[in-house]
Amino acid sequence: MKTMGLKINLLLILLTGIYSSAFSQAQKKADNDTENWRYEVECVGTGNEGTYLIKVWSYSKKPLVAIEQAKKNAIHGIIFQGFQGGKNGCNGQKPLTSNPSLEQEKMDFFKDFFADGGKYMKFVNVTNDGSISPEDRLKVGKEYKIGVVVSVNKDALRKDLEAAGVIKGLSSGF
Amino acid sequence: MKQLTTCLIFLIAFSTSAFSQAKKPTLMVLPSDVWCNQNGYMSEFDNQGTKLKFPNYKMAFQSSSDLLLVIGKINSLMAERGFPLKNAESVLKSLEGESAEDAMLQSKSGNDVSETAIDKLKKTAKADIIIQLTWTINTVGPKKSVTFNLQGLDSYTDKQIAGEQGTGTPSFSAELPVLLEEAVLSHLDNFNTQLQAHFDDMFANGREITVRIKNFGDDWGGDLEKEYDGKELGTIIEDWMRDNTVAHRFSTTDATENMMLFEQVRIPLYDANGNAMDARGFLKPLQKYLAAPPYSIPCKLMTKGLGQSSLVLGGK
Repeated sequence: MKTMGLKINLLLILLTGIYSSAFSQAQKKADNDTENWRYEVECVGTGNEGTYLIKVWSYSKKPLVAIEQAKKNAIHGIIFQGFQGGKNGCNGQKPLTSNPSLEQEKMDFFKDFFADGGKYMKFVNVTNDGSISPEDRLKVGKEYKIGVVVSVNKDALRKDLEAAGVIKGLSSGF
Repeated sequence: MKQLTTCLIFLIAFSTSAFSQAKKPTLMVLPSDVWCNQNGYMSEFDNQGTKLKFPNYKMAFQSSSDLLLVIGKINSLMAERGFPLKNAESVLKSLEGESAEDAMLQSKSGNDVSETAIDKLKKTAKADIIIQLTWTINTVGPKKSVTFNLQGLDSYTDKQIAGEQGTGTPSFSAELPVLLEEAVLSHLDNFNTQLQAHFDDMFANGREITVRIKNFGDDWGGDLEKEYDGKELGTIIEDWMRDNTVAHRFSTTDATENMMLFEQVRIPLYDANGNAMDARGFLKPLQKYLAAPPYSIPCKLMTKGLGQSSLVLGGK
C-alpha cells in the first residue's frame, strides 16, 4: 500500500514536471515571437486620458501563454512599433521611440524590463478580466491566435523610459 | 589650496550646466483663420476700397467655450510633457494691460515712454511655433463626428514642422465637448512625435532661421553692390554667412542692390563661448564685422523671436 502511494506521488511529480516544462517551452517561444515582432496591435478606441486601448493578437500553442504574452507584446508594440488606426475612425499612434536601433542599443535595460514579471507589468492592464470573445480565439495551424484587449498607461510608460534615459523627453536639451 | 580646487570644480560644473541648455522655443495654440471665419470671429476693415478680413481672437476667446476647452486641454497635456505653452488669451490680456500702462507712464520730468511705429507694430501675440487649430463638426443624420486638424507652424521659416489630422468616431449620443476632448487625446501624441523630430533635427543640424539685409542708402551713400577690393558688399556678406553657418547651409533667396533675403540658414545652437544662440546672437558678429574697417558701415540690428533677424546697413 505504501509502495503504491509512493508510485502515485512520483507519477504526479513527473506529470507536473512535464507540464511545467512544456509551459516554459511555450513561454520561451512566445518571448522569441515578441522579439521577432510576431504579434499584431490594433486600435480599439480612445482610452482614458494617459492610456491607449488596444487589441493585441499573440500566437501560441497554449492559449494561456498567448493571453499572458499579450501584455508584453502590447508594451513592446507601443515602444517600438506603434499601431495602425482601427475601425470607426480610431486613430493609430506612432511608437514612443523613433530610433530604429534602440532595442539593440539598450539591450540590457530591455532584457530586465521585459523579463517575466518585469517592470513592463506596471503599465498594462487586461480589460474584461482577461475574458476572450470567441471571435478573438482563432486556431491557425497548430497554434492559437488570440486577441486580447489591453489598456496601456502610455503616459506613465513614457515618463519611466524618459527617467531611465532610454528615450528623450520633448524638452530635453532645452 | 584644497578650497580653491573645490571652488574651481564647482564653478566649472556650474558653467557647463548653465551653457548646456539651448534656447527653448515658445509655443502657443491659436484658432486658424478658417475656424474663425466659419464661426463668425472675424473683423473687417476697409483698406483703400478693398475689404480685408482678419481673425478677432479676443472675440473668439470671449465667446467660444469649446475653443477654451480644446486649448486648455492641449495646454495641460503639453505641460505634462514638460513643455508648457503660452496661453494666447493671457498673452492678449497682457498686451492690452501693457499698452494701457505705457500710455500712462511718464518720467518725473514729464516725458512719455519712447515708442516708434515699428515698436507698436511688433506688439502682437507671438510665439516661436504657432499650433494652428481647426475643427469642423460633421453631421450625418443623427450621427456626429469631429474632423480635427493641428498644424505646428514655425513663425520664422513659415514651414509646417508638425501636423496631425483626422476624423473621430461618429457618435449618436456623445456631446461636442466630449468629441473634442477625444480628438485632442487621440491626435496630440502623434503631433508631439513630429515636434520631437523637429527638435532632434535642430540639435543635429542647427536652428533654422531667416536673415534679412536692408539698406538705409542715403545715410551712408552705399548699397550692396558697392565694391571693396573688387568684391561687392553682397558677396562679402554671403561669404560671411558661408563661414558662420552649420555645414555652410543657407539659401540666398533674394538679392538686389538694396536688400538680401537668406532662408534656411542653419545656425549653431551655441556660440564659441558656449552661450545659447538665437538669430540676434548670430547676426551681432556680422554687425561688428561690417562696422570695422575697411567697411566702416554702422548697422541697425532688429530681431523677431529666436528665428528671424534683420540687419539694416547705414545707420542705427
